[in-house]
Amino acid sequence: MYSIKEYLTNDHRRCDDVFAKMEEQANSSLAEAKEVTEKFVADMERHFQREERVMFPEFETKTGMLNGPTEMMRQEHAQMRNLMAKLLEAIDTNDTDKFFGLSETLMILLQQHNMKEEQMLYTMAQQHLSAEASRIVEMMDSLVIE
Amino acid sequence: MNFTGLSLDQAPPISVPFRYFFVAPLFAMMAAMLLLFGESFHLERFSKEVIAATHLITIGFFGFVMLGALTQMLPVIANATIKRVELIAGTSHIAMILGLLSMVYGLLQNQTLFLNGAYIFLGFGFFVMLIAIINSIRSVENFTPTIRGMLSSVSFAFVIVGVGVLLLAEYAFGDLGIYHVAFANIHSTLAIFGFAGMLIIGVSFQVLPMFYVAPSFGTFVESKLVYILGVALVVWSVTNLFALEFVVFAKVFLILCFIYYAYILFKTIKTRKRKIQDITIRYFYTAIAFLVGGLFLWFLQSFIEKISIVVVAVFVGGFILCVMQGMLYKIIPFLVWFHLNAKGYMSIPTMNEMLNKKFVQLQYGLFVGSIVFFILAVYIEVLLPVSLLLFIGSMGLLEYNMLSAYKIYRLTCKKKPEFDMSGFTS
Repeated sequence: MYSIKEYLTNDHRRCDDVFAKMEEQANSSLAEAKEVTEKFVADMERHFQREERVMFPEFETKTGMLNGPTEMMRQEHAQMRNLMAKLLEAIDTNDTDKFFGLSETLMILLQQHNMKEEQMLYTMAQQHLSAEASRIVEMMDSLVIE
Repeated sequence: MNFTGLSLDQAPPISVPFRYFFVAPLFAMMAAMLLLFGESFHLERFSKEVIAATHLITIGFFGFVMLGALTQMLPVIANATIKRVELIAGTSHIAMILGLLSMVYGLLQNQTLFLNGAYIFLGFGFFVMLIAIINSIRSVENFTPTIRGMLSSVSFAFVIVGVGVLLLAEYAFGDLGIYHVAFANIHSTLAIFGFAGMLIIGVSFQVLPMFYVAPSFGTFVESKLVYILGVALVVWSVTNLFALEFVVFAKVFLILCFIYYAYILFKTIKTRKRKIQDITIRYFYTAIAFLVGGLFLWFLQSFIEKISIVVVAVFVGGFILCVMQGMLYKIIPFLVWFHLNAKGYMSIPTMNEMLNKKFVQLQYGLFVGSIVFFILAVYIEVLLPVSLLLFIGSMGLLEYNMLSAYKIYRLTCKKKPEFDMSGFTS
C-alpha cells in the first residue's frame, strides 16, 4: 500500500504525463486535442477532489489547522480550475495562441503548486496521519468524483 | 511551518525583481559602447576599459539578474522570504548602481575619489543583499539540492565581493600588490563557476522539471555535485595562490565536473516530457554548447594566453547570459500574469501574448551572432565593431521585450478590467 505522499505524488506525475500528451496533440491539431484535454481536466479534478474531500479534511481535523496550508492549496486549485475551463474554451474557439498561452501559465502554476505540496504539505500529512494512512489512501482511491 | 511562495500576500512585490531585471540590459549596452567608442580599441584583459566593460556585464547584467531572480525564487523554491525585501532590495540596488557607475568612471578617468566610492558602494550594496539572502535561507527547514546550490552560490559571492573590493582598493591606492593577478584570476573564476555556475546548477534541478516536465537530474548529481564542485573550486583557488604546479590538475578536475553537468543537463532537456520548442529551450541548448566550448578553451588557455578574453566571452556571454536570458523570457511573463491574477482581474493576457515571438527570436539571433563575432574578433579585429553593434541591438531588444510585458501589466492595472472572483473561491 502506498503512503499518502507516494499516492498523491504519483497522481501528480500521471497528470504531468497527460499534460505533455495534450500539448503534443494540440501542437499538431488543436481540434484533435479536445479528448486528451478533457482527460487532463478530469484527471486534475479527480486529484483535487481526492485532496479537498478526503486528505485536507483529515489533516485539518487532526492538526486543527483550518486556515493554513490546505486553505491556500484550495485557492490555488480554484485558480487552476479557472485556467482549465479557459483551455477548453480555447479549443472550442480554435484559438491556438490562446491555448498555448494558457497551457504555459497553467504549467508553471501547477508545478510550483505541486512542489509546495510534495515538499511540505504531504510531508506534514505523512507525519500527522501515518497511523490512518492506509484508510485515507483507500478512501481517496475509491472516491466517486462529483 | 509557513507556506510562502506564489501566494497572494507573500510573494515580493513585482517591483522588487523587476528593478534588477530592467537595468541589466542597459548596463550590458553601456559595456559594448565603452568598447566601441573607447580610446584603446584592443581586447587586452587587464586594460582598464576591458575591466570596466567586463564588470558592467558581470555586475550590471548577471549580478543584477541573479539578485533579482533570488528575491523571487527564494520564497517560491526555498520557502524562504527576505524580510523587509522592498527596503533591502531598494537600498542594495541603488548602492550597486552608484558603485558600478563610480567604478567605470573611476577606472577610465583614473579618479581616486570615484574608485574609493566604487568599492564602498559596491561592497555595501552586495553585502546588504547577500546577508539578507543568507538570513532568509537560515529559516529553511527542508534543505533541498536547489537550496544547497543557492547557498553555495551566495557563499562564493561573499568571497568574490570581498576580493573584488580588495582589487578595486588597490587601483584606488595606485598600488597593485604582487598577488593582484592571482587574486584577479580567483575573483573571475569564482564569479563564473562559483557564483553564477552554482546558482544555475542549483536552480536547474528545480526549474527544468518545473517548466518542461523533465526528469530529475538523479540522486548523485543533485546531492553531491554542488559539494564536489565547491571543494574543487576551493582547491583550485588555493593551488592558484600557493602551488601553481598543481593548478592544472584542479583545473582539469573542474572541467570534467562541468562537462559531466553539461551532459546531464543536455540529457535532461532532451528527455523532457513537454516537447514544445520555445526560445528558452533554444537558449538552454546554446548555453550548453558554449559551456562545453568554453571548458575546452579554458583548458587551452593554460598554453595560449591570447584566448583569455575569448574564454571569458564564451563563459559569460555564451553560457551564463544565454541561460539568464532564457529564464528571463519565462519568469517575466509569468510574474506579470501572476501579479495581475492576484489582483483578481478578468481578461488577463496569457503569457504568450506578453512577448512578441518574432522580436524574441530576433533578439536571440542578434545575441548569439554577437558572441560568435566577438570570438572571431580576437583574430579578425575588424569584426569587433560588428559584434558590439549586434550586442547593443540584442540588449536593446531584450529591454524592449521585457518592458513590453511590463507595459501590459501597467495598462491592465490602469484599465482595471472587472474583477473575477472565481479564482479565489472553492
